[in-house]
Parts: sequence; structure tokens; C-alpha cells
Amino acid sequence: MAELEDLAFELRSKLLELCGTYEGAVHIGGDLSAADILTVLFSYGLRVDPTDIAAPDRDRFVLSKGHAAVCMYIAMAIRGFFEYDDIVATYGQLDSAYGMHPCKVQLPGVECSTGSLGHGLPLAVGMALGARHRGETHRVVTLLGDGETGEGSVWEAVMAARSNRLGNLVAFVDRNKQLMTSFAEERVMFEPYPDKWRAFGWNVVEVDGHDMGALVAAVDALPDPGSEVPTVVICDTVKGKGVDFMEHNLAWHAGSLGAADLERALAALGASRTKESV
Amino acid sequence: MPVTFTFGEFLGARSVIGSTLAELGEDRENLFVLTPDIGATLVEFRDRFPDRFIDVGLAEQACVGIAAGLAYDGNIPVVSGMLPFLSMRALEQIRTDICYPNLPVKIIGTHGGLVGNGGSTHYAVEDLALMSALTNMTVTSIGDPLMVGEIIRQSMSMTGPLYIRLAVGKKDMVLYEPGQHDIRIGKGIIAREGTDLTLFTHGTTVAQALAAAEQVAEAGISVRVVDMFTLKPIDEELILDSAERTDGRFVVLEDHLAYGGLASRIADVIADRRLHLTAFERLGIPQVYAGFGEDEQLRDKHGYGLSATVSAIRRAHAA
Repeated sequence: MAELEDLAFELRSKLLELCGTYEGAVHIGGDLSAADILTVLFSYGLRVDPTDIAAPDRDRFVLSKGHAAVCMYIAMAIRGFFEYDDIVATYGQLDSAYGMHPCKVQLPGVECSTGSLGHGLPLAVGMALGARHRGETHRVVTLLGDGETGEGSVWEAVMAARSNRLGNLVAFVDRNKQLMTSFAEERVMFEPYPDKWRAFGWNVVEVDGHDMGALVAAVDALPDPGSEVPTVVICDTVKGKGVDFMEHNLAWHAGSLGAADLERALAALGASRTKESV
Repeated sequence: MPVTFTFGEFLGARSVIGSTLAELGEDRENLFVLTPDIGATLVEFRDRFPDRFIDVGLAEQACVGIAAGLAYDGNIPVVSGMLPFLSMRALEQIRTDICYPNLPVKIIGTHGGLVGNGGSTHYAVEDLALMSALTNMTVTSIGDPLMVGEIIRQSMSMTGPLYIRLAVGKKDMVLYEPGQHDIRIGKGIIAREGTDLTLFTHGTTVAQALAAAEQVAEAGISVRVVDMFTLKPIDEELILDSAERTDGRFVVLEDHLAYGGLASRIADVIADRRLHLTAFERLGIPQVYAGFGEDEQLRDKHGYGLSATVSAIRRAHAA
């Protein structure tokens, strides 16, 4: 557990470093909220092999909240898929494989091209159906932002997944309760959020999305991929988690840090870790 | 045993879709058929391969996204439905989930043009403009019901996405006897040879174009009729050849908005290749929401019926 917590800290540090060196916008708020989930997935939960990215029995991962691409790239780099230095050296530049939203054509290590919200779950349903048909036992896992579940296509896919009895499909929701320009419940009444998924017939798990133990337990308790009910793991998170001046702050949906602010952010991240480990 | 049909007979393109997909499904275990609740056409496939038939109900966006997910994993998905909804409600899924990663998903559907008497919610009249704008998309519009089967067969080896537009698909005129023409995606078909002018068309209006050509032949006007069933990539060579052989006289007829469809695609070639035409007449749907009426009534009302086609041919010929 401590090891995963270290990796999540490393992921956040690297996110901040990239945000400090790249002058364009990094979706740092939603990256930080998803950092623990993506750490658990790539360093623990997903059956993937960075040396054999096309292995037929690998678990498939679809980043539906495509704007968290950097967080995924770095989580994958920590797992051994890419070199972090390549990401930070080329991010957002002409001909780079790494940019604001993931592109499979440019970066074959990712499963899907995403970025437009509400697309990931239908893609994952298709992949899960394909696996079922071939009698394969891997899982298809997707990470959604809670804001994007305002898209109707998500609920179309929620129904399709249950109707087709896709127990091999798992959706994680990064429930940070912030949209880009507002706090979600001020604009859109998502609550009672877990009940909405339950009403569509899914197996609903609720966890603290920053509690590594809880995330690991949720992964360990996932139903067998051969079962018939898809699972959603609703992760209660904080946008900007780990950097006090970014947490719950609408200004930090996306941005970049100058050198001075990078120091401040890294110090805040270190302080938050010290505080939590006390 | 193939059933043969000859020119002028009627056959439903829908039944060809169903039988062709069922036939192809035998050898291809990775062929999936998906529909948003428009599955009557697909009964043969559904009954034979229930585990590869996915009806998502009224959910075009998820239908296209699920097809993309299947294609990512090496499957060949065919999405079948009504084109006004697939081409517009799921436009972004088609663009982002299928065209962007260049996946081999086929979209095949009905209600292209002012057909079916459903009113303007149910006419796909902008679809070819929208689909032609998408990078990696191959765009076809088919009138001959037997051709539908041929194109679906050819599409099995395509690596990227394909759009196939049909009319209502319940009763379509057989235009070409099997084996009479070399039918290939990307190549137009010379449906009738002629020397005075070329009438370009696609889909359900090919039959009307042939009828118009027949009518003016009595007055000594020789019309080459080109069935440009692939709008993208367009057969540039056939356009250049037609300009040369028919004295730079073009008429374009289509059951689509007059701007944005085949006429616009041909006009692009004319501009890019610096062709100097003697005449260019375009017949199609003006900027209207058309309302109710039978196909022929609507074409007459909106200025691209048979008599309007004959008039356009005469104008181009006199130019």
C-alpha cells in the first residue's frame, strides 16, 4: 500500500513538473483528482504488459475523460510503457506522441483515441462485447469524469452494458464534483449519483478516491469478468488534490505553473503528504 | 443459388443487405451487425448469428461508439439504421470514434433524400455533405439494389470507414444486370453512353436520369449518364474524360441538397483541374424543409423531377 502511495506521490510530482515546464494548458485539476485511481489501475489493477502492448489477453483501458491524458501518460510511464523524460521533453510539440488528449494513431500504447466527452463508455462496451464473443476473460476498464456523465451517450451505453450483461466491464468515475466553470451541483443536479447507476442495474461500489487501501480493496472485490452485471466504482475525489491552492479551486481546471509557482506547488504537495501520513 | 433480376424490375435493397450480411457472416466470425432499433432489414443475420447482432434500442450515439469499440479489437462492425439520425445525431461519434482512428466500420442506411414521406425530420438531405467532409470516410450512394450486395462484399477488405446511402430500400429499380458493369468503390459507372453531354447522378435518381436520357434521345440529344455512386473519393478521371468526350457539358442530378453533395464535389474537381466547361447545371434540393408528399411529387415540386431534368439537359445542350 505504501508503495502505491509513493507511486501516486511520484505521479503528482511529475504532473506538477510538467505543468511547470510546459507553457500551455495542462488539465492539472482533473489530473490530480484522478492520480490515485490511475496509479491503482496501471500499477496494480490492470493486467497489462508494457513489453507486449498488444497481448490479446491484456485488460483494455479507455480514458473517457481524455483531458486527463497527461496523468495517464505518466501513470503508464511509471508502469514502464514510456519514458517520462520523453513526455516532458516533447509534450504538446509538433510531431509529439503526447498531447492534450490521447491519440492511438500517434501513441499505440494507448487503447483508444479520446477527448470528446461521453465517448469512452460506448467504446468500452464495444470492446467488452468483442471480448465476450471470443470467450476472452480480460476486463475492459474505463475512467469517466463525473461531469461528462451529463452527456446522454453515457447513459445510452450504461443501458447497453447492462442489457448485454457485460460483467467484464468496469467504469471508474472520478467524482470530483467540479465542472470546468462551476461546482457541479450548482449547475447540474447529479445527486443522488450512485442511485442513478443503481437504477440502471449496475453493481455500484463507492470509495474514497484518494484512499489507496479503499481503491485496492475495490479492485480486489471486482466481480468475475464472466459475471453478468457491469460494475461502476464511484470514487469520491477532490479536483486539484494534493496542492492546497488548487483544491476546490475553479481557476485550476487547466493552467500552467511558472518556476516560482512550481516550487510552491511542490512544497504544498510535500506538505499535504506529511500531513496525511501523520 | 443467386436469383437474377433484369433492368426495370424491382427488388428491395433491404433484403439484399440482410441476405448479404448473413452470407458474409458465415465465413467471418468477426462480422458484427449493430442497429439502433431499425433491425427489420437484418432478420436473416440476427437469426443466424444472434450473438453478433446488437440492437441497442434508440441510441444512435452509443451504437456508433460500440461499433468503434468492436473495431478497435479487430472486428468488422456494420451499423444499419436510418441515415438522418445516424449521420447527424451520431455525427461526432462517426467523426471522432471511427474516422479519427480510421476504423473499418460500415454505416449503411435508408432514407437518403426526399423519400419515405416522413417529413423533414426523416429525410437525410445533408448527409453526403457531412460525410464527405470527414477525413478517412469513403462515401457511397447506391440506387441499384443488387449493387448493395456487391459493395458490402467489397467493403469487407476495406481498412477504413464506409458510408452507404440508400433510398427507402423497399422497392428499388434494378439498373444493371449482374456482370454488365465493372462495379468498384471509387469508380463511377457509365450507365449509358452518350456524346453531347454528361448527366452525373447517384442513388435513387439514376433511374430518373436514364429516363430523361431516353426522352431526349428521341430529339437527337445523346446523353452520357454517369452513376457516380462513390462521392468520395471521387472518380476524377471519369469527370475529365466526360468533359472531353461530351463537349464540356455537364448536368448534375441528385436527391440531396443542390450545394454540398455530388454537384459540389464535381465543381471542386472542375476548379482544381481548371476545366473549362460549356455548361454546368445542377439539380437537387433547394434550401427548404420539404414537407410531405411522394418522392416524385417532391422532386417535381422542388425542381429536380423528370421534366426539370429534361429541361436542364436541353439548356445544357443549347449552351
